[in-house]
Amino acid sequence: MFYTIIEQVVNGIVSGSVYAIVAVGMTMIFGVLRAINFAHGEYYMLGTFGAWVAIDYFDLPYPVAIVIGVVATAVIAVVVGNFVMQRIVGAPAEAGVLATLGVALILQNTVILVFGGGYKFFSGGYIEPVTLFGFTLAEQRILIIIIGLIVFVGLELMVTYSRMGKAMRAVSQNIECCAVVGIDVRHVALWTFILGAALAGLSGVLTAPVNVSVYGGMGELITFKTLPIIIMGGLGNVRGTFVAAMILGIAESLVATYVGLQFRDTVGFATLMLVLMWRPHGLFSAQARF
Amino acid sequence: MTIYLSRRGFCVGSALIGFQAISSGAFAARTEDGTIKLGLVAPMSGPNARYGAFSLRGAQMATKEINSAGGVGGRKINILTGDSQGTPVEGVSATRRLIDQDQVDFIIGDVSSSVTLAMQPVVEDAGVLLINAASSNPMITYKAGVGGFKWTFRNYPTDENRALIVLQYAAEKKGFTKYAVLSVDTDYGRAAIEFTKKYLPRFKSQILTEDYYKEGEVDFRSVLSKIRDSGAQAIIMYGNADSTPIVGRQMIEVGIAGKIPLIGNAEFNTASSIKAAPKALEGAIEAAAWIPSYDSEKSRAFVDKFTAEFREAPNNHAYVHWETVHLLAKAIEQAQSIDREKVRTALSNIHYASAVGEVTFDDHNQARLPMILLEIENGKPAIKGAYSAEIDYPK
Amino acid sequence: MTSAERTVATTGRDLRVPFGLALIVLACVAPLFLGNYPLHAIIIALIFLLPAHGLNLLLGYTGLLSLAQAAFFGIGAYTSALLAVNFGTPFYLNFLAAGLVTGAIAAPLGIPALRLRATSFVMCTLGFVIIGQAIAKNWISLTRGDMGLSAIPKPYFALGPASFTVSGTVGFYYLVLAIAAVATVAVYLIVRSPAGRNMIAIRENETLAESVGIPTWHYKLVVFMISAAFAGLGGSLYAHYLTVVSPLTFQMYYSTTMLIIVLGGGAGTISGVVFGSLLFVGLTETLRVAPELRMIAYGFFLLGLVFWFPNGFAPLIGRFWSFLEKRK
Repeated sequence: MFYTIIEQVVNGIVSGSVYAIVAVGMTMIFGVLRAINFAHGEYYMLGTFGAWVAIDYFDLPYPVAIVIGVVATAVIAVVVGNFVMQRIVGAPAEAGVLATLGVALILQNTVILVFGGGYKFFSGGYIEPVTLFGFTLAEQRILIIIIGLIVFVGLELMVTYSRMGKAMRAVSQNIECCAVVGIDVRHVALWTFILGAALAGLSGVLTAPVNVSVYGGMGELITFKTLPIIIMGGLGNVRGTFVAAMILGIAESLVATYVGLQFRDTVGFATLMLVLMWRPHGLFSAQARF
Repeated sequence: MTIYLSRRGFCVGSALIGFQAISSGAFAARTEDGTIKLGLVAPMSGPNARYGAFSLRGAQMATKEINSAGGVGGRKINILTGDSQGTPVEGVSATRRLIDQDQVDFIIGDVSSSVTLAMQPVVEDAGVLLINAASSNPMITYKAGVGGFKWTFRNYPTDENRALIVLQYAAEKKGFTKYAVLSVDTDYGRAAIEFTKKYLPRFKSQILTEDYYKEGEVDFRSVLSKIRDSGAQAIIMYGNADSTPIVGRQMIEVGIAGKIPLIGNAEFNTASSIKAAPKALEGAIEAAAWIPSYDSEKSRAFVDKFTAEFREAPNNHAYVHWETVHLLAKAIEQAQSIDREKVRTALSNIHYASAVGEVTFDDHNQARLPMILLEIENGKPAIKGAYSAEIDYPK
Repeated sequence: MTSAERTVATTGRDLRVPFGLALIVLACVAPLFLGNYPLHAIIIALIFLLPAHGLNLLLGYTGLLSLAQAAFFGIGAYTSALLAVNFGTPFYLNFLAAGLVTGAIAAPLGIPALRLRATSFVMCTLGFVIIGQAIAKNWISLTRGDMGLSAIPKPYFALGPASFTVSGTVGFYYLVLAIAAVATVAVYLIVRSPAGRNMIAIRENETLAESVGIPTWHYKLVVFMISAAFAGLGGSLYAHYLTVVSPLTFQMYYSTTMLIIVLGGGAGTISGVVFGSLLFVGLTETLRVAPELRMIAYGFFLLGLVFWFPNGFAPLIGRFWSFLEKRK
C-alpha cells in the first residue's frame, strides 16, 4: 500500500516536471507582459513538430532534433513577439486574451495546413525502461526530471544574478518606474517571451518520445493544464510555479489512481478553485501583485 | 497615418471577402454541369482535426479513383468540405451551407456522434442523403430508417455485438473473469463499456476497476500501476488509434506487458501499434470491421495506394470514408440517376462488395458489416473468427 | 462615454429611430428573400446574442472580465433539454426555467469568485466551464454523459386551445428574433436606469464608487447572476434549435466567442454587441469559402481586432451616425 502511494508520487513528479518546464515559461511571460498566454501550448506543439520534422524528414539523431525543435520555436517566438506580444504590454487584459487566442489559432492551423491534420508518430528518444530504486521508468522520463531541475536552477540563478533577470523582475514589479531607471521594457518583454516560448518548446521535444502521438491540436490541452498552475504558484513567481506544478502532477496521479482517470483533468482547475477560495492570492505570493 | 490606412485596409479587406463569398455562392448554384456534388462534414480544425484529416484523404482518394475511371455514369464526383470542428453548432452550420448554398445532394459526415445527431434533423428536413461513416452512438440508427430519420444511413459498426463477441472469446477461449476497464472518455468508449457490462453476468465475469481516459491523454502510468496491483486478468479497451502505442509503451514501463493483455478495439492490429510496444500488444484481442493489415486484395491495394500517396499509413477513419464514397457511387450507379429518392432506395437494397465482404442495410439504415475477431500471436494478427452483427433495436 | 452615446446626446434621436425601425422591418421580412442558410446564420447570431448581452453587462458596464458564459450556457441548455425530454414541458417553461436555474446556480459560484482579483477571477470563471464539462460527462444518471440528450422536441407552446409547435427554420427565426428583441430592450432598460449608471461607476473606479455609497459587492453579484441568466436563456434556445445537447456544450470556445462578440462589437454599447454578434457569425460563415485558411484568417482577424479596433466597431458606428448627422 505504502509502496503504491510512493509509486504514484514518483509518477506525479514525472508529469509535474513536464508541466513545470512549460509553466515557468508561462508565468514569466505573465510577470513581464501581464498577459495570459493562451497560445503557450502551441509553442510546446511547435517544439515537438520541429523535432519531428528533423527526425522524419532529415533523419537526424534525437539530440540534434532537440536543438532544432527549440530553435524553431524560438524563431517563431521572435516573430510573434515582435508583432504581437510587444504591443500587448500595457494593454487591458481582454486584449491579451484575444490576441493570444488569435495567435494560437494561426499557429495551430498553419501547422495543420502544412503538415496535414492527421496524427504522426514520433520515433526517436530514449524510451528504454530503466529500473531505479524499484521503480521502472523510461529513460526519457529521468531525462525530463533532470532537465526540469536544471531549468529551474538556471532560471533562479538568472533571475537573481543576471542583468536581464533583474530587469525582468523590475518590469514585473513596476512597469512605470522601469522607464525612469532606464530599462527598455519592450526589449525585456520580447526576450522574456522568447525564453518562455522556448522552454515550452523544450518541454514538447522532451516529452515527444513518451507521448508518441504528434498532431497540430496537441497544444490546447497543455495550455489548459498550465493555466491553473501559474495561478496557484503565484503569477510571475517562478519558485511557486515550480512547486505548484509538482503538486498538481502528484495530485493528478493520486486522483487517477484512487478516484478514476476520467477526473484527472478536472484536478487542475478544481484544485485551483479550492486554493483560491482559501487563499485568494495564490499559494505562494505574499501579496497579490496582479 | 499608417495606422489609419491599415484600419481602412482591414475594413476593405473584410468587405472584399464578404463580397467574394456572396458572389461565389451565387456561382455555385449556377454551374450545373452534371457533376455529383458530395458534401463532407468532418472536423478539419481543432483537436479532432487529426481524425478529420484522415477522413478527407480517404474520401479524396476514392473520388480520384472513381473520376479517373470515368466517373459514375459519366458524371464526376466533386467533394465539398465543411468544417465541423467537432462541435454541433459548427457541424450544423457547415451542413446548412452545403445544402443551401453549395446545393449538394449527398453528405458524408461527421466523426463525432453529437455532430451527427445534430445534423440528422437538418438533412431530414431538406431531403438530403446523409451517410455516416464514423460515429458510434447507437441513437443515430435507433432513430433512423423506420425509427424516423429516413435520410440517414450509417456505414459503420455499432458496438453492441462487438462487446459481446470480445467478452465471449475472452471468457470461453482464455478463461478470463476479472477485467480492468480503460476506455476512451467519449460516447464511443462509454457506450462500448455499457454494452460490455450487460453481458458480464452471462460469463460470470466482473470489472474490478473502471477508468476512462480523455482523448489526447498521454499519461497512463498511474492507472496502469493500479491495474497491475488489482489482479485483473485483461484490460478492456475501446479507444483511439493514437493512444494505443502510448498505452503499450507505458504498460512495458509499469511491468504488465505480456502479463495482462488488451481486449476490445483500438487499432491494436496495426503495424505501428505493434511496433511501438510488441511485448505489450502480444495476445491482444480485437474485434473490428477493418484493420490496416486486413488480408484481402482490395484492402491491401487501398493501404498501399494511400501510403504511397500521402506518405503515411491509413487508419480506420481513412478506410471507412474511402469505402463509403465507393458505396455511394455504387448506389448511384444502381439507381442510374442522381435523383435523391432513387439513390436512397438503391442504397437500402444494395448488396455492396466491400473490401471486407458484402454489406447490406437493415431497416434502420444500419449497415450489416462483417466483422472479424483477431488475436495477436507472435507479433502478427491472426484471424480467429468472423461474425455478422444483427442489432436488437429497442421497441 | 463612448462616441456612440455622445452622438445621441448632442444631436438628438433624429436618425436612429427611423433607422432602427427600418432594421426591424427588414428583420421581419428577411425570410422572404433569404434562404435557409443565411437565416440559420442569423439564428445562431441571435442565440449567441443573449449570452453576449450578459457578458456585456458584466464586462462592458461593470468591468469584470469573465469566461464563465459557456458554463452557464451549458447549464441552461441542459436544464431546458432535461425538462423537454423528461417531462415534455412547453417551451416557455423550459426557457424560463433555464434562466432561473442558471441565475440561481450563479449565486453560490459568484460569492467566492468575486472576492478574487482580476486575473484569478478570470481563471476561476474558466474553471467553472471545465468543472461544468466534467459534471456533464460524469453525472451519467442525470445527463447521460457523453451520450448526450438528443431528440429534444421542437419548441411548443401550450396555450390552452391555441397551442402550436414552432417548426422549420423560418418559424424558429421569428421565435429567436422576438426573444432577442425583448432581451435587447431589457438590457437597454437596465443600462439606462440608475442601476446602470452605478455599474459604470464601478467599472471606472470601484473604490470611488464604494466611497460614494454604492454597494459594489451586491451590484457585482447581482450582475453576475443576471449575466448568467442571460447565458442560460441562450443555452435554452440552443438546445431547442440543435436538438442535441452534450458535454461539448461546455467549451471554452463559446466563452471566447462571446468575448469576441462583446469586444469586437464594442463593450459598453448595446448596438455594438448586436452588431458584433451578426458580424462574428457572418465572418465565420463567410470564411468557409476557403476551408483550409478559415481558422487562420479568423486568427488574423482577432489580431486585427485587438490592435486596430481596441474599442470594437462601436466607435465606427458612432462615426457613421455623426457622418449622417453632418450631411443632414
